[in-house]
Amino acid sequence: METVDLSLVSLVLTFLLLALPVVLSLKFGFGLIKPLFYAVGRMTVQLILIGIFLKYLFLWNNTWINLLWLLIMITVAVFTAVRSSAIKISKVFIPGFLSFSIATFIVIFYLNIVVIPLDNIFDARYLIVLGGMLLGNSLRGNIVGISTFYENIRKDAKKYLYVLSLGASHYEALLPYFRESVQLALKPTLAAMATMGIVALPGMMTGVILGGASPEVAIKYQIMIMIAIVVSTITSVVLTILMTLRVCFNRYGVLRREVFVELKNKSNGS
Amino acid sequence: MTYQSFDFPGKNKNSMIKFDHVHLAFNGKKILNDLSFEVKRGEKVVVLARSGSGKSSLFSLVLGFLEPDEGQVSFAGQPVDEKSAWEIREKIAYIDQDVSLGDGKIPDLLDFVLKLKANIHLDNTRAQLQELLEYFEFDQEVLTKDIENLSGGERQRLAIIIAVLLQRKVFLLDEVTSALDKQLKKKVADFFITRKDWTCLVISHDPVWLENPAVKIFNLEEGKWKP
Repeated sequence: METVDLSLVSLVLTFLLLALPVVLSLKFGFGLIKPLFYAVGRMTVQLILIGIFLKYLFLWNNTWINLLWLLIMITVAVFTAVRSSAIKISKVFIPGFLSFSIATFIVIFYLNIVVIPLDNIFDARYLIVLGGMLLGNSLRGNIVGISTFYENIRKDAKKYLYVLSLGASHYEALLPYFRESVQLALKPTLAAMATMGIVALPGMMTGVILGGASPEVAIKYQIMIMIAIVVSTITSVVLTILMTLRVCFNRYGVLRREVFVELKNKSNGS
Repeated sequence: MTYQSFDFPGKNKNSMIKFDHVHLAFNGKKILNDLSFEVKRGEKVVVLARSGSGKSSLFSLVLGFLEPDEGQVSFAGQPVDEKSAWEIREKIAYIDQDVSLGDGKIPDLLDFVLKLKANIHLDNTRAQLQELLEYFEFDQEVLTKDIENLSGGERQRLAIIIAVLLQRKVFLLDEVTSALDKQLKKKVADFFITRKDWTCLVISHDPVWLENPAVKIFNLEEGKWKP
């Protein structure tokens, strides 16, 4: 089967579909027209730019440029994940960057070396595309994981300190919060995996099939990518939490308030 | 009943809690100013002060939840520092004024507390629990209740029971009788005061503590013992 390329006219015709939500928004006063066009506009511009960029990235296929681009993607992912929590980025950028990098590189290299296996494991088509897929999903997990972990301990400060006063080690006092945040971080990925193929055909698989590959190939890649996503998500969430502990707690096991954005007062523990 | 030893080798065995020229400030506001006092082994000391005057921070300093800006806090002759704080927490039972015990059922909470590495060696806790529930006037069915459905007074008594089950000999009690009726207040105060080998540092305005002749009273604002 050959790929049917979309002409510019076809793409413009796709935008015509937006007339439907516009009419609905006008009729019922959803107020969605502005945000809809803003989002569609941003998506279009960003994808066109990344399309051009990827075209050259694939054309040059230079190991160092590929690695550099992956590191840039990791940096942006860490900034986004930390910004959504109340932690100051300057305090946790390094542990966040390390944990995202370790999780992403372990999984990508395992796929590129062992699973696929590639002659050039730094091939842009795999390194960048797989990296983007993994980072996008790990990012979502990390946003939930880090925020839940630190927010719950701050919210529960009295109980947390009470548990420490009972003689709990730092590990024992943190474990319930750690478990809860990792479970929550994984929940959307696990739910998506459990319904995959029945409720929804995943975007990657749809793209591969529309791109001309057979459903068998698409399914095999989809299974591979989903397992890679769940592994990199759990690894990066666990590593990020563990690696930020030293920065976010003092050696008495008490949260350092100065690490968080809006609370700058000294903890009085009561 | 077996108690853990709370002695640090080679340290002063008579001094349990000592504040030595302690200064503490929050946001530039002085909370403790050159505070010095000592609680000796077996003493029951009530700290008297207005609310908001930093009474609770005394306990946070002993437990290592706060560090003094100047001066030193010691437990059994051992200065509270990053290392000793973890050991000290294993030797002290602390009950907060508005203790937060989380949610879930009481047996699950007890299970969690008693399975902490520091407490796993404790024996005979089940039999002791029954005695304590009875003494502090709980029905047996309280064990089936959710913690969040307990009244303030029930929560205070439950926290006291947990503290006693830990079989420690030094108690930091922050307004632990505030939500109890008169009879229970007296029972709780007597329970602690009559144990000769227990050391208690108490924050309370309650006459059941203040009027007991066995109790020493320290006025925090004046930094002096009440004659």
